[in-house]
Amino acid sequence: MIQYEVRQTLVSVKNVSVLIDERPIVRDLSMEIKNIHRTDVAQGQVIALLGPSGIGKTTLFRVLAGLSEPTSGEVLVGDDQKPVEAGMVGVVFQQYRLFEHRTVLGNLVVAANRVGLRGHKAEKRSMELLDRFGLEGLHRRYPAQLSGGQRQRVAIAQQFICSHYFLLMDEPFSGLDPLAVDRVCKLVNEVAQADELNTIIIVTHNIEAGLKVADTVLLLGRDRDEKGAIIPGARIQATYDLAKMGLAWRENVDTLPEFLELEREIRAKFRDL
Amino acid sequence: MSKKTKSIAGVVLPNRAVSPTVMKMLILVQAGVALAIWWSSPFKVLPRPDEVVRALGDLWRVHGLGWEIITSVSLNVQAIGWTLLISLLLSYLTVIPFFRPIAAAVSKGRFLGLIGLTLLFTLMIGGGQPLKLALLVFGMSVFFVTSMAAVIQDLPKEAFDHARSLGMSEWRVVWEVVVLGTADDAFEVLRQNAAIGWMMLTMVEGISRAQGGLGAMLLNQNKHFHLAEVFAIQLLILAIGILQDYGIGALRNLLCPYATLLLERK
Repeated sequence: MIQYEVRQTLVSVKNVSVLIDERPIVRDLSMEIKNIHRTDVAQGQVIALLGPSGIGKTTLFRVLAGLSEPTSGEVLVGDDQKPVEAGMVGVVFQQYRLFEHRTVLGNLVVAANRVGLRGHKAEKRSMELLDRFGLEGLHRRYPAQLSGGQRQRVAIAQQFICSHYFLLMDEPFSGLDPLAVDRVCKLVNEVAQADELNTIIIVTHNIEAGLKVADTVLLLGRDRDEKGAIIPGARIQATYDLAKMGLAWRENVDTLPEFLELEREIRAKFRDL
Repeated sequence: MSKKTKSIAGVVLPNRAVSPTVMKMLILVQAGVALAIWWSSPFKVLPRPDEVVRALGDLWRVHGLGWEIITSVSLNVQAIGWTLLISLLLSYLTVIPFFRPIAAAVSKGRFLGLIGLTLLFTLMIGGGQPLKLALLVFGMSVFFVTSMAAVIQDLPKEAFDHARSLGMSEWRVVWEVVVLGTADDAFEVLRQNAAIGWMMLTMVEGISRAQGGLGAMLLNQNKHFHLAEVFAIQLLILAIGILQDYGIGALRNLLCPYATLLLERK
């Protein structure tokens, strides 16, 4: 079993509710993400927020990113637990959005400018990140000239320049073949292990990929009343501490019987969410 | 089938990209066929190509065609400049709800005929060159604002959110997503509207013929039923228009090289 300890809170979601047209989409949702410390390696946090389509994942995603205000409740991020605002958390959208009118370097420089880096310093930092993400030699290309994998890396690098430690990814496995899913999982692990404070929240409906990449899985769904009728508004229905279960940070974890069993259990729960 | 044969056969198959050489050949062949049809036309009233070329020479030597070209091109360039300034500003301002009804009202102006507006514009601006310029700017702007405002309206929410997620202020988001992000579209809209400008030029220059221009010359030749001269001027306007179109396209490719990267038929 890999040794680790849980330290300070990095993200707190406190009693968040979101109403759209008077309809509850997220209801009184609370959760905490804590810094996981491993002695053998720098280990960031990877949280998979799993839920079926239409459950309110995107709404919660926007609130966590600071792009939408919740109707009530608050989201606090960082060591100093500041209320989240747009720009504090890096956001990687489903289509790996970039500025199509800027080159790869231009995309990173414009992000570096947002954190006060100018001119040569912004370019230097951008080139460093391009190297770190295996994108050397592509700095003069436009996004339209990149492959899917390269585009993912540039989108993540761009967000990492100005968001420091926090990264939210919306359905990063959507529409990808199994090999591409593995590539994204590898990339997420690389980013998570780049710094102990790096915290990646992946919003997805892909159970297998979510379980493979995360150290914690949160299951998003709706409660039911005593008659079995759905109560509108998503909440956290279950939390799986994969680190505690011995299913985090392991090679070929998806071949273990415990992994397959957990996947089956979550899949069965999905039907009632 | 060889690669070359395949490329040539591709000109009659759907969704095929052909080489620039094949495309040039295609244009030459089609232009040749059009010329042959024109030359052998059974309509006697239709001037033949050699008559049109002769008429063009006469217009140049006797009627001062060169000067008229300068007058019209100058008017068109001024109109394009003012249209760009007014229309882009108004289109970009649609990000502010206050300006949306104004842009919508300007856009509806495309249903109004310029003839009906001439008196109003004359009363407001006076006659001569400023009147022609104002009418042309109005005529082009109503279409420009319609197209450009639609481009901005169609920008996806994610594009704005992406910029916001980088910590940009709302004005910076507007600059990055709306202004820079649609620059290539603005060039395309300009291409279309600059062409509309040439279409309206005849009417506008006809209002005050004393100042000349290709439009005034065309109306004069048309009045005397000089069909060869009319054809010559029309072909000249077409050539200038194509040149202008090519120039704007080249400028777009230079300033927005990313614009055509994903096109199948680039």
